[in-house]
Amino acid sequence: MLKETFSLNHLSFRFPDDQKATLKGISFSISKGEKVVISGPSGCGKSTLLYLLNRLYPDNCDGSVDGEVLLFGKPATDYAPGEINHRVATVFQDPDSQFCMPTVEDELAFTLENLQIPFDKMEARITAVLELTGLTHLRHTIIQSLSGGTKQRVATACALIMEPEVLLLDEPLSHLDPYTAKQFVEWLTDLQLKTQLTIVAVEHRLDSWGKFFEREIQLDENGCLVNDHLFSPKQPILFPERSISLQPKTALQVENLSVTIKNKQLLTPLSFSVCRGEIVVVAGPNGSGKSTLVKSLCDIYKPTTGTIQSDGTGYVPQSPEYLFLTQTVQKEVAYSGSSNPTDIASLMTRLRLDEICEDHPFAISHGQKRRVAIAAMLADKRPVLLMDEPTSGQDKAALLELFELIDQRSKEGTTFLIVTHDMEFAASIADSVLLIKDGELTGKFDAKDVWNNEELLESHHLLTPKGVDRFAESFA
Amino acid sequence: MRNLLHNMNPSVKFIAVTISMLTIAFFFNPWTPLLFFVSILLLQLTMSHINWKLWLLFMLPFSIGAFGYLWTTVVFGADTGGTIIWSFAGINVTDEQWAHALSLSFRVMAFSSLSLMFAFTTDPVKFILSLMQQLKLSPKLAYGVMVGYQFLPVMKDEFTQIQQAQRLRGVEVEKRSWQRIVSMRRVLIPMLAGAVRKAERSAFAMEARGFTGEPRNAYYRPILLSRTDVLMSGVFLIILLTSCFGGIWLN
Repeated sequence: MLKETFSLNHLSFRFPDDQKATLKGISFSISKGEKVVISGPSGCGKSTLLYLLNRLYPDNCDGSVDGEVLLFGKPATDYAPGEINHRVATVFQDPDSQFCMPTVEDELAFTLENLQIPFDKMEARITAVLELTGLTHLRHTIIQSLSGGTKQRVATACALIMEPEVLLLDEPLSHLDPYTAKQFVEWLTDLQLKTQLTIVAVEHRLDSWGKFFEREIQLDENGCLVNDHLFSPKQPILFPERSISLQPKTALQVENLSVTIKNKQLLTPLSFSVCRGEIVVVAGPNGSGKSTLVKSLCDIYKPTTGTIQSDGTGYVPQSPEYLFLTQTVQKEVAYSGSSNPTDIASLMTRLRLDEICEDHPFAISHGQKRRVAIAAMLADKRPVLLMDEPTSGQDKAALLELFELIDQRSKEGTTFLIVTHDMEFAASIADSVLLIKDGELTGKFDAKDVWNNEELLESHHLLTPKGVDRFAESFA
Repeated sequence: MRNLLHNMNPSVKFIAVTISMLTIAFFFNPWTPLLFFVSILLLQLTMSHINWKLWLLFMLPFSIGAFGYLWTTVVFGADTGGTIIWSFAGINVTDEQWAHALSLSFRVMAFSSLSLMFAFTTDPVKFILSLMQQLKLSPKLAYGVMVGYQFLPVMKDEFTQIQQAQRLRGVEVEKRSWQRIVSMRRVLIPMLAGAVRKAERSAFAMEARGFTGEPRNAYYRPILLSRTDVLMSGVFLIILLTSCFGGIWLN
């Protein structure tokens, strides 16, 4: 019989401030060498479950645990602080807040120092893990200068240098674009073959993982285990079909726009126009000038040359919180005072904000925050909305909600420019696509012409959206 | 030779600087701080390679402060007696007053140049590591500071992004500087909310890598004490003694 790595018996967990338990009556066991994914909607307690396996919980949150958690056959409570972390390593979600040292080498050494490894063994272990993970060339690089995908690899290397028996992954792909995510999964597959690690991951977007996992443990929104079965590759999210609601009236006209900041030309002169109600996806490699374009369109950056004509452009940043200035949702939407109370009331109803109108804008869910930001922009009389990466780190339900929201607004005549890496989302929502590379506009394309043109996509670091046949058919 | 100040063990340098400051504080003649200030300049000229333009820029506010001390002590200082050396516009300046004024302003110059010398020749990461290794600072505190230091550039980016986003909402940039400071709170709230979340994540990541805050047995980058440190401590001591006794003698 295989040795059991983790074994949970009727586990329940409740945070000290909550009335209801986050996890209820969960039992499963994981054997050595298995590749398991724990899936479920946002906020169902997946990450909490993971933190119980590496003993970050319950000590760090004073939560109460019922039932039994056996780690390597021994109750979790019997381990000394830090002891289990030598055998169970974790890679977290956010590539920006996992590191405490300046360079890759120092970060690896930090881990070894924690394990009380003698000085003369450190060098060999650092060299070995860098070779194993293929990161030798980055040894002396400053971590903060790396891209998100590479940071996640460095985080994995830091986990592996402990020579752990188990690797826990907490949504490691959620901040990566699909191209980088695909590379990360391929790299991890190779690594697992070499090391025979047990891997337990938490993930809600399984389509990027292909056939990586062997087993899937599903939780529902109440924190109960609903399914524990063989893993089958997942289809990407199916977005509903939408009809184009383009109106023959120009909403945004850009002529010869270029941006030069501190003697560096970030955008070479570009021109395009967008119709009322049109949904445009802005895509291109990291650092190609997508954000610069969006920011110059809404007047955060002053254009160096060229003109922008529009009825008013609004901006919804990736963290909508950045926009908030007041204490309640109601005041937030009415802040600028450029709409009359009747308009604001109807806007609040259409965006389903009336039930939370007295709440603090920081205390509502992410989807609600975004609706508040959109409402505030529309109340400001800015009918052209620019959205920066609205899809990153969103689960299925949130993406469908976002789709619905944009679709609805565009039918009412709002124009959207959306920067996104999510190709499936882009393919389902876009009327047209702006491709940008190295600060140059390759062109504005009709959406249906782009998704099958692999050459064009690849030269912009993009992937063909999965399920593209469906789009091809629906356009035919 | 030009690397000596940079190569010095940060903890030793820190102790040397602290002792110098405390000692100079007990000398009230104008010559000791002046001699000290000049020696620190010479030390920097010969044993370091720093960006002098930046140094001048940082020195500017201190120099203005020093001149302020000089001016206020001469004009408004209490009458302490002594002979009048010059008088203009009805203000009589006595020699004692003048000596006090010079002493105060040179002291400002001496202390600021010493602090800048430390700041310009010390790598902050190395300083923290050294504090932990030589002066037994708790790793919990040391790595806490280190994480904060890594976050600074991220926080700066976030600050500009929030400001830009809020300007778009029609937040006016205040004309008066005190109003601008008051309106900063609007930027600070979302920024701090994000910082708290980040801090928790970092703490988790560190703990998951086996960090418990216990003192460590071995360091990958041991910050050692070397002959340079003995030599440089000697140099600091000579500078200190020369300025102390030189000051007394010249007075």
